[in-house]
Amino acid sequence: MSSKGIYSALSGAMAQSHQLDTIAQNIANASTPGFKTDKNAFKEHLTILEKAPDVINVPRVPASIESFFDMEGTDKSFVDVDATFTDFGQGGLKATGNNLDVAIEGKGFIEVLSPQGPRLTRKGTFSLGADGTLMTTDGNPVLQKGDGPAQDRLIKLNGEGNITFNQQGDIYQGTNQIGTLSIVEFEKNDHLKKIGHSLYAPTDTTVQPLANPQSTLQQGFIETSNVNIVKEMTDMIQATRGFESSQRAIKAYDEMDAKLVNDVPKLG
Amino acid sequence: MLKALNTAASGMQAQQTSLDTIANNMANVSTTGFKKSRAEFEDLLYQTIKEPGAPQTKNNPHPTGVQVGLGVKTAASQKLFEEGHVQLTKNPLDLAVEGKGFFPIQMANGEIGYTRDGTFHKDAGGRIVDKNGYPLVPEIVVPPNATGIGIEESGKVSIQVPGNMVPQQIGQIQLVDFINPAGLKAMGKNLFTPTASSGSPLQGNPGENNLGTVAQGQLEGSNVNIVDEMVDMIRTQRNYESNSKVVQAADQMLQFSNNLR
Repeated sequence: MSSKGIYSALSGAMAQSHQLDTIAQNIANASTPGFKTDKNAFKEHLTILEKAPDVINVPRVPASIESFFDMEGTDKSFVDVDATFTDFGQGGLKATGNNLDVAIEGKGFIEVLSPQGPRLTRKGTFSLGADGTLMTTDGNPVLQKGDGPAQDRLIKLNGEGNITFNQQGDIYQGTNQIGTLSIVEFEKNDHLKKIGHSLYAPTDTTVQPLANPQSTLQQGFIETSNVNIVKEMTDMIQATRGFESSQRAIKAYDEMDAKLVNDVPKLG
Repeated sequence: MLKALNTAASGMQAQQTSLDTIANNMANVSTTGFKKSRAEFEDLLYQTIKEPGAPQTKNNPHPTGVQVGLGVKTAASQKLFEEGHVQLTKNPLDLAVEGKGFFPIQMANGEIGYTRDGTFHKDAGGRIVDKNGYPLVPEIVVPPNATGIGIEESGKVSIQVPGNMVPQQIGQIQLVDFINPAGLKAMGKNLFTPTASSGSPLQGNPGENNLGTVAQGQLEGSNVNIVDEMVDMIRTQRNYESNSKVVQAADQMLQFSNNLR
């Protein structure tokens, strides 16, 4: 059958539907504090990778469409979702006036202790546990700077005096300094993987954080998500229309095949 | 099947929760001692289609993987205990807590509830009770011959009786604080009860141990800021709309697929 290209069209439709899934995720999280936009990278997957270039061999074999020009294997190229990456751009700051809300300005992350071990987050909406431990709203304790194991780096507050965070992350209760929030910053965030619950896990533990984080902390603010609704809506239109075009192409191949099967063999 | 449909539905549900919270805040804008809530969201689990670092060709791993998120969920609806503005009422049994602390109230089932709403009254027996008739703990009884009630900052309650120049102390109002007031459970009727995450009640006299002081003739208004709520409402409604558009787009894609044949 001549219609091998139907699979190229199918790959396009699949890629666009994947794109819509990502857009849906971004829009659903448009009001999640500290959420970072996900993006897809598509790549062309050439069949040249699968078959060696043909030589022109017109005289020797019965003529087919491939005989007339050298395709070099590029007659079919599929599209493939190569990667999703996260746009770690700064989200907006929204004033709440709540002294347990902190927003990070800059590239840093706050270290928290999840049941699976230390993880990173940008969502600085804290609350206190029954014993005064500073934790995220999920109940993951927030960690302070230090060299010891994570279990020894919890932050305990006893509610005496106002809680203040300064821009460097030092925590004060009244006028006593309790500790310093562990703010981790990397040169590049490529090795961080989203694991849900607004947490990030490093996939490569050999990457060392920067010695002098430049991020500053803003108390009484929440970092909103950096999802740009206008862009997502535009991408969504593009994805649905791209999907539609791919479907049209599939249909066109279908009609070609119908002709080939039903009309070409007709005699007389 | 398209994940986008469910993802967008989770987004719509989250915005619904947010609107419900905003509606409750706005409805209670003039409720004495009301504390506003805030719905907080977080992203759901991610489906990993291609692991970051998985080998692509020999010695050439993928720098990034392919992950699709599956939506959003409500992580918490947090009570915010910022102080509300204070209103002067001149009513001797209207009390406001300036600073931290709650009035302990004995509820109908015998348990102690905690409130910031200081609109107290006398019942038929002269006991100081709240709007619902639940007595203050410890119980304070005002004798029928009292002509005036004075409540000091420290919570000391004294009365004037005819024929006696010196005020007579009849009781002491105590306040209760929690390490994590945001962990209290709202029971309605302006009452809160402690939970495992609020910590146990720390009772004391007003002004001691970081507790606030009592102000007579004043009431604490609700801490709802209408402008904030309005802005949040606009944002919630528009986000809901965006999510519904995603549902439409996903529906359209499925329609194209169905039209293939």
